[in-house]
Amino acid sequence: MTPRVMAQVYREYWRVNVLTTLEYRENFLLWFAFTIVYHGTAIAALAVVLARFPSMNGWDFREMAFLYALWMMSHALHNTLFSAVGDIPEHVREGEFDRFLVRPLDPLFQAITTPGQIFPDELILAIATFVAATIYSHVTVDLTFVLFVPLIVAGGALIDLGFNLAISTAAFWVIRVDTLRWIVLQLEQEFTRYPVSIYTRGVRLLLTFVFPFAFMNYFPAAYFLHKTNLGIDLPPAAGLLTPLIGVVFAAMAYVFWRYGLNHYQGVGH
Amino acid sequence: MAREATYRFEVFTAIGSLVVRVFLLRTVWTALYAHNGAPADLPLHAVITYSTVALLMGLVLDIDQTRLLHDKLHDGSIATDFMKPISVPLYFFSDGTGEVLFHAVLIVPSLLLALLLVHLDVPDPLTVAVFFVSFLLGYSVGFCLNFILNCTAFWTLEISAVQLIVTWVTDLLGGQLVPLVFFPVALQSVLMFLPFAAMFSTPLLIFVGRIPPAQWAAALAVQALWLVILAGVSVVMWRAGSKRVIVQGG
Repeated sequence: MTPRVMAQVYREYWRVNVLTTLEYRENFLLWFAFTIVYHGTAIAALAVVLARFPSMNGWDFREMAFLYALWMMSHALHNTLFSAVGDIPEHVREGEFDRFLVRPLDPLFQAITTPGQIFPDELILAIATFVAATIYSHVTVDLTFVLFVPLIVAGGALIDLGFNLAISTAAFWVIRVDTLRWIVLQLEQEFTRYPVSIYTRGVRLLLTFVFPFAFMNYFPAAYFLHKTNLGIDLPPAAGLLTPLIGVVFAAMAYVFWRYGLNHYQGVGH
Repeated sequence: MAREATYRFEVFTAIGSLVVRVFLLRTVWTALYAHNGAPADLPLHAVITYSTVALLMGLVLDIDQTRLLHDKLHDGSIATDFMKPISVPLYFFSDGTGEVLFHAVLIVPSLLLALLLVHLDVPDPLTVAVFFVSFLLGYSVGFCLNFILNCTAFWTLEISAVQLIVTWVTDLLGGQLVPLVFFPVALQSVLMFLPFAAMFSTPLLIFVGRIPPAQWAAALAVQALWLVILAGVSVVMWRAGSKRVIVQGG
């Protein structure tokens, strides 16, 4: 399929999303309020704790807010663009997925462009939070910052996508992947909230090399905040590797996806 | 009970995630206490006990026991329930009880696994007994709060987002995430008297000894007061709501 057709489909996908959101406006506003409360309570809990205990392994509240905001951007970007990847297991279960396979468009692209009530509200909130956190934490905004932050956010979103896709691919073999997805998501949400250096060595290695969530926010934030004691034997500039890690991680998940797709066709037909 | 037991994956999720969070809370509080002056009134082992018990309580307190009411208002099947020779609120109550008991049973394996990671300070039997009384009051407050929220479905249909908002606010302002004694003093004096504190904070502070025996009666009285108020609101909302169903029906 030509990129032109895909671009058309993609535009149409967003048009439907926006129309759906407008149709269910009150519902959308309620969920937006939930998103605000969700991130608000997380940041408020950090604020309360760090007002009483001013340092977490050398990180103060301003720095922790920056850490959180950086994760929030990547995560929100992923949720906005790729959340539909998480619906693939349901499509497989319902038999809907077979329809994707006979249409003349890439099945993954079709899954990503399944319209729903998707709106970039969380992303807008994340950008606002990040701008506020950047000012608040006195991070030096130089050329490296301006150039790398968008790349790091994209890389972080790709790390998220890698997990989302790999877990969805597992649905070709096992019917219920909800548990797995839930645990990984929780691991991500709760463990990215604090500096990785507070964890035991095993967890530090796990978050760096196996589930590279540390690259979503910890290493980049440590780089921009000039932290020296990372807790992992990596140079500070490792924080700028996030885009690369994201691409590699998403590519690995994609290879697994192609493998799963072949397997699925082999069984189903 | 059988319906719940079929969701085996839910069991593993609930226990697995709880154990991971116990590990996390131990790490976080240990790091915080290591780098800052430890507060004398709540030493490290007490705060770890507090947070672990809070998570175990969450297994039961986070359940929406009257969810069925909301579901039945959604699909309209509540109309036929009113024709049956049963007490409808009691029917919703008992429907959720199975799930609550099931999750209460989950506390045992969760606790045993948690004990591999943390040490819990167990107070004397009398304190434990008062804790359970307080916990029961807290559970009832939470039950009424959920019932009221589900009753709003008589007027508006989509309430999942509102319920989640209330859950998150309860976890923060009720002291499940962070003990209320760590909040700024001015805020503390307000939060202590909200129904959210009645759910989590009061039983937990009794358990770790931060509410001394002399203040038990007063603490339990505040909880009981909230229970009476919220139960009253529940009754009023149920009456008004069910009248509405009858009006629509006929």
